[in-house]
Amino acid sequence: MALSGFKRAIPPMQILPEEQVLEIQNGVLHVLDTTGVQFESDNALKILEKGGCRVDRGEKRVRFSRRLVEEALAGCPATYTVHSRDPERSVILGGDTLYFSDMPGRGILDLGSWAVRPATIEENRAAMLVLDALPNFHVLCAYTPYFDVEGWSPHMSITESTAAKIRLSTKVQWTGYQEDCELFAIEMAQATSQDIIGISCTSSPLTFGADACESAIRFARAGLPVHVVSGCIMGATAPVTVAGSLVSFSAEALAGIVLVQLARRGTRVSVEDSVLPMGVFSGAPVFGSLAAMLHIAAFGQLWRRYKVPLFANSGWTNAKQMDFQDGWEKSLTTLVIALSGCNVANFHGGVYGELAFHPLQALMDDDVAGTVGRFLEGVRVDRETLAVELIEKTGPIPGDFLTSPHTRAFIRQELFLPQAADLLTYQEWEGQGRKSALDVARERMEAILATHRPLPLPEEQDQEIEKILVKARRHYKDRR
Amino acid sequence: MESVLAEIKKQVLAYNRDGVRELAEQALAQGVEPLALVETLREVIAGVGEQFASHRVFLPELVGAAGAMEAGMAVAQAAIARRGLQAASFATVAIGTVAGDIHSIGKNLVAALLSAAGATVLDLGINVPVEMFLAEAQEYQPQVLAMSALLTTTAPEQRKVIERLAAAGLRESVKVIVGGGAISAAFAESIGADGYGGTAPQAVELVRRLVGRAAGRTDGR
Repeated sequence: MALSGFKRAIPPMQILPEEQVLEIQNGVLHVLDTTGVQFESDNALKILEKGGCRVDRGEKRVRFSRRLVEEALAGCPATYTVHSRDPERSVILGGDTLYFSDMPGRGILDLGSWAVRPATIEENRAAMLVLDALPNFHVLCAYTPYFDVEGWSPHMSITESTAAKIRLSTKVQWTGYQEDCELFAIEMAQATSQDIIGISCTSSPLTFGADACESAIRFARAGLPVHVVSGCIMGATAPVTVAGSLVSFSAEALAGIVLVQLARRGTRVSVEDSVLPMGVFSGAPVFGSLAAMLHIAAFGQLWRRYKVPLFANSGWTNAKQMDFQDGWEKSLTTLVIALSGCNVANFHGGVYGELAFHPLQALMDDDVAGTVGRFLEGVRVDRETLAVELIEKTGPIPGDFLTSPHTRAFIRQELFLPQAADLLTYQEWEGQGRKSALDVARERMEAILATHRPLPLPEEQDQEIEKILVKARRHYKDRR
Repeated sequence: MESVLAEIKKQVLAYNRDGVRELAEQALAQGVEPLALVETLREVIAGVGEQFASHRVFLPELVGAAGAMEAGMAVAQAAIARRGLQAASFATVAIGTVAGDIHSIGKNLVAALLSAAGATVLDLGINVPVEMFLAEAQEYQPQVLAMSALLTTTAPEQRKVIERLAAAGLRESVKVIVGGGAISAAFAESIGADGYGGTAPQAVELVRRLVGRAAGRTDGR
C-alpha cells in the first residue's frame, strides 16, 4: 500500500486551445529535428547515434526525428511505483495523483535576522524528522533539506545528504549529481533495496553537460528512475515568451528522455518544469512570478499528452522571510501546479530560490498542501452527500444539522483542518496567548521532535551505508 | 563627421552591432579621431547605464546596447593601437568563468555592465583554466581579475587561481573579485578574494570601489 497522495477528481486546467498546443508541439519537434541539442558526453553521443539519432560528433550536436521522439515517449511508463524501503511509503507517480516534495535550501534561516547560514548536523536531522512526519509530504527532493551542512565538504554534500535521507526517513527521494557522486547513491539504493530517483539537468539553451548525461545513463542502466529537469531562464537561456520558452524547454526535456530510453528502454522517467523569468534589472531568476505560473499551466497542458509524470516548483519565492509575499507566491503557484495536472509540486520548506529552508516553513506549507490537495479531490455529489432527505427531515428552525449522524459521517472528509493556521475565535486566541501561525508551527515541531521516530534502517543496511560513505569520503579526499 | 557620430549613437540605441561596426569604420575613414569615437561610444552607453540605474531600461536592453557599443569600440581600439595612442578607462578588468564551468550569462552581464560603466574588459570566456587567468594577469596587468562559477563543484577553481597568483608573485598587483550562483560573500572571504558581487550591478560597484573611483564617473577622467 503506497502513499495515496491526492487524487485529482476535477478536469485539469486548459489555458490554451488545442490548435495552439499543437503549434507548440510542432515547434518543439522542429527544433529537435533541425537545431538539435548539444550533448557534451562521448558516451551519450555514442548511445544516441546507435539509437538512430543524427549525430554531428564535431559539434556534439544531436538531431532527432519525430519518430525517435515518439518511440522514446512510448517506452516511458505513464505511471509507476517508486519503491521505498517501507512499502507503505512508496509512491505511484503519474496519472491523476498529486504528491508533494520539498524545496531545499543552501542553508537555514535565522528567524530573527532572516540571515542564512549553514545548518548544523542536528538541524539537518530535525528538519528531516519534520519532513518524515508531515502527512501531506511524500517525496524528498535532492539536496534535502540543506546543501550546506557544517562538517560536510562541498564534494560530499550530496552523498552525505542522500545517506541522511535514507537513515532519517522512509519517504522516497531523488538525488543530485556532481563529480560522479551518483555512483555512491546508486550503491546506497542497491544496499537498501529501494529506488532512488536520479536527475539530469539541462544546461540551457539546448545543452546537456557531461555530468548530466552520465547521471542519466548510470541511473537508467541501474534500473532506477530518471528525472529530467530544465531550468531555463526566460529572456536569458530561453526565449522570453511563455510559448517560446516552452518550446525550448520541451526540446531539451524530450532530448533527455530519448537519451534515457536509449540507454535503457522502459526506464521510469519524469520531467520537471523549473523555468523562471529573468529579473529585468538584476538578470537573476525571479521566483513565484506570474510568468512562471503561466509557464507551468502551459507545460501541464502540453506534457499531459506525453504521459510521463510531471514535476513543477512552487517552493521558491522571491520573499526573503516567512511573510505575506512568501505565503501568496507559494500558495498560488501550488494551486496552478495542481490544476495543471502535474504530479509532484516541489514545495515544502523553501524560502527564496533554494537559498534557505526552514522546517517551520515546511510545517506551515503542509497546510497549503493539504488544502490544495483537498481542493483537487473536488466535490462528491451523490444521494448521500446531496442529503435531500435529511434536509426534508430537519426542516426550518428549530431544526439543525449539528447533531445529525450525517454531519459526523462527512465532516472530516468535507473539511480540511489546517494544523498551523489560526482557526480560533478571537476570544480563544486571546485566551491561548495570542499565538501566531509561526508559534503554532513551532509547538508542532517540538512535538514532532519529541515523539516522531522514523522506521529505523536495519542494522546491516546501516553498516552498508556507512561503508559507502567512508569509501566516498576517501575518494574525494584522494581527488583533492 | 557630426552626423556619422550621431548615427552611431542612434544605432547603439537600436542594438545594431553590425550597423555600429560599419559606421565606426566609416567615421574613421571620414577622419574622425579614434579617441573621439571612443568618447562618443562611452557617452551613449553611459546614458543607457544611467537609465538602467534608474530602472527605465531593462537588462536585456542594456546588454544589447553594450554589445553594439563594443562592436564600435573594437574598431576604435584597433585604430588606437595602430596609432600608438591610449584610451582612457577607469579600470581594466579581466573576466572569465572558471575551468569546468560553461555558464556564461552571469559573466557576460558583468562584462556588459563594466563596459557600459567605462571599464576596459578583457573577456576570457568560459571554462577558463587557471593558467589562462595567470597568463592574462601577467601579460595585460589588469587592475581587477573577475571570476564566475555557477557550480559548487567548480567554485574551488577560484581558490586555485588566487593561490597560483600568490605563488607567481602577482597577488598584490591585481584585485580579485568573485561571483556566480555557487559563491557567497563568506566563500569569497574564505578563499582570500578582494570582493564578492551578488549581482552584476554590485560587481560594477565593487570594481569602482576597489580601483578607488566614485560611482557615476564613466568618462575616464
